[in-house]
Amino acid sequence: MATQRFLLGLASLVGLLVAYTWVSNRLSQPEVIPPTQAIAEAFVDLIAGPRQQPAADQPVHMGHHAHSSDHVEVLLQQGVTLQASLAITTARVLFGLVVGAPIGILLGLLMGLSRRVNDYAHPLYVLVRSIPPLALITYIMLWLGHREPHRLIPIVYAVATTMVIPTYHGLRDVASTYVVAGRSLGAKGWLLIQKVLLPAASPAVLTGLRYAVAIAWMTAVGSEMLMAENGMGNLIVGGGMWASRLQTRSDPAVVIVGILALAIAGWVMDVGARVLTIRLTRWAR
Amino acid sequence: MSLVDRTQIKRALVALGAIALLYGIAAEIGRWALPHRIWMDVHYIENVELLPPYRSLGEEMAFLLESWILPSSIAVSTGRVLCGFVLGSAIGILIGLATGRALRLEYLAEPWLMLLRFTPALALLPLYVIWFGYGEASKILLIATNVAVVTLLGAHQGVRAVPQVYLDAATSLGASPRLAFWKVVLPAALPQIFTSLRIALGLAWVTIVVAELIDAKMPSLGYLLTLAGAYPRVPTMLIGIGTIGALVLACDLFALAVYAKATRWMRRTG
Amino acid sequence: MSPSGSPRIRLEATEVGYTYPGQTPTRALEGLNLSVVENEFVALLGPVGCGKTTLLRIFAGFLQPTTGIVRCDGASIEGPSWQKGYVLQEAAIFPWMKVRENIEFGLLAKGMEAPARRALSDELLTLLGLSAFEAAYPKELSAGMSKMVEVARVLATDPSILLLDEPFGALDAQTRARMQDELARLWEQRRKTVVFVTHDVEEAVYLADRIVVLSPRPGRVKQQFSVSLPRPRSLDTRFAGTFSSLKREVWQVIG
Repeated sequence: MATQRFLLGLASLVGLLVAYTWVSNRLSQPEVIPPTQAIAEAFVDLIAGPRQQPAADQPVHMGHHAHSSDHVEVLLQQGVTLQASLAITTARVLFGLVVGAPIGILLGLLMGLSRRVNDYAHPLYVLVRSIPPLALITYIMLWLGHREPHRLIPIVYAVATTMVIPTYHGLRDVASTYVVAGRSLGAKGWLLIQKVLLPAASPAVLTGLRYAVAIAWMTAVGSEMLMAENGMGNLIVGGGMWASRLQTRSDPAVVIVGILALAIAGWVMDVGARVLTIRLTRWAR
Repeated sequence: MSLVDRTQIKRALVALGAIALLYGIAAEIGRWALPHRIWMDVHYIENVELLPPYRSLGEEMAFLLESWILPSSIAVSTGRVLCGFVLGSAIGILIGLATGRALRLEYLAEPWLMLLRFTPALALLPLYVIWFGYGEASKILLIATNVAVVTLLGAHQGVRAVPQVYLDAATSLGASPRLAFWKVVLPAALPQIFTSLRIALGLAWVTIVVAELIDAKMPSLGYLLTLAGAYPRVPTMLIGIGTIGALVLACDLFALAVYAKATRWMRRTG
Repeated sequence: MSPSGSPRIRLEATEVGYTYPGQTPTRALEGLNLSVVENEFVALLGPVGCGKTTLLRIFAGFLQPTTGIVRCDGASIEGPSWQKGYVLQEAAIFPWMKVRENIEFGLLAKGMEAPARRALSDELLTLLGLSAFEAAYPKELSAGMSKMVEVARVLATDPSILLLDEPFGALDAQTRARMQDELARLWEQRRKTVVFVTHDVEEAVYLADRIVVLSPRPGRVKQQFSVSLPRPRSLDTRFAGTFSSLKREVWQVIG
């Protein structure tokens, strides 16, 4: 079973890769469907960073251009590399998670613990979470200007709003039996919360966390695409080329490289979240 | 979602009323406490109301409605969302049902699905613009892609999660694989499919907002926000944000109602 | 077997063995021999894990024996079919269908038209006293009623063989007694070949013509008892002297 899964998956990957290479070379429309070699070239360029210009006395090879496309050129001139961009976006995502998740979990706990709080807070929460985080960007910019918090706030907001419902449900649906049992054993207040409630609700919370990771990546890249001078979103969108729409020369090869890098990074983080879930909920297996 | 009782409705209204009141107070305070000139990239803009009082909002709303700007933007954006949603969910559910039934299909599709799943929804936008231009197609397809990924997962997991007892019972009652699929597997998977549809609808809105923030054409809710941000005209901005939020909420409540109706046979927890 | 004289054998297991695959293979059955004769009510008794469910699933056609041969009406068992009505231990009533739809499911599978289906389901609903609930969803039913619906569902296609796996195991004592009465009454009206798995000795003695006791894992036939209590069985049967003495005998064998 497992080998079949691996083999079929591999076959599918290789098969499509081969098909794509063949089609993209046949079509020869590199601005739209970049051939696989161009993608690889862009990838190498973006990792290696700016290449040295050939010295005046050295022969210039035929057909050699400095870098694979204008898009790459612009990026490299700005000192952008794939690794650096990925690191920056990852940092933003982690910030959003570290700050946003506790806020969301706290709110979810408060709402789940007290019927009263829930009755008041839930309608407000429903209103707030209906607003897409990136819609707020333009408004936040007026308050905070074009600076880093401006980009980070939507991420924190998105993560926080995502974590509320899983926590709330984890508490209400899952933990209620345990709460009754714990209470009848005499546990109260902080002890009850720490030893009974949190562990009981943790599977639901951790599942919500995996979803929040995906949301965080999406919001981070989105906000970078809209207004940032660094990070993966910026890389994909061409380092400012987006603004000069009339001269759209963004290179699909770069976009594809960016997407692949993001997908891998997102996958790694998801694996991490899954491992964390397994570790922390060993008792549930 | 259980039926709400009277206390809950009362408390909800109190909370909403309190927030509305607080905003009004904040706006009044803001009138003389908040700065009125904002530094925007290269120069100062005068006369900016960071927290516009209700009167400004009311006037702006009247203007937006009269000039037909708001209604047309709502119509266009909602239209895009619905097109993308319908397209995406049809594709996603069909593929999800297929991969759920046939293990081999799942294994074949798995690498690509993982790739799509972990690509942040918006990163595909530049690619789609390159391929399909700046028009409707790229936006609708972007929404469709994101919706398809979510509904695919929902349909797939829904099919997989059908308890074996139901399949065994159906087989021993003489059901053909076709009958078993339509009468047992699909109804059992429906709750999960509907949940994913609800999530996908929210995602569709998030996607369109960003896609429209970049697009330079009216009517469109996203671009309304961008325009408002360019002046800046704060009342328009807030109304725009509020409208989007209201539309998202309306869609979500509708999706919830459909879910409740379709799963009225389910035992409700807690 | 010959049509006249000795009764027909419906189900036959010869030297049947079954091993569950996995990291540590479990030998559930070994060298099991059993014949079930037409219209006989056989109870399979045994301690937990002795393989009763496995044997039933083999008869039902969900599992193939790893050793030995099983036959149904002389032919090998290819897979599940409606002729071998099977009621599982777990709740298998379809929650998204109303009671009537559940009962009609097997008839739908047979391609029967709606009016004919309705007539048959009417009959069964009345027979089992479920008429009031025909339009209810399973979530509104008690556990006992749900099980009766499952039995009705299986009876709808009128199989001549019934395989029941501890159907009343999850019910409380009173409901269980009532369900046993229902089943006994049904069996009186429509005779079928029944293999009934249970761990409850009283239930086995009350319902069956023959009790087959299986040994602990790996299961094989330990001993068989013929139940000659008069039919139809009733509440009085439960308190008869012969009832108790038979119970004691069986208990001693189970050990």
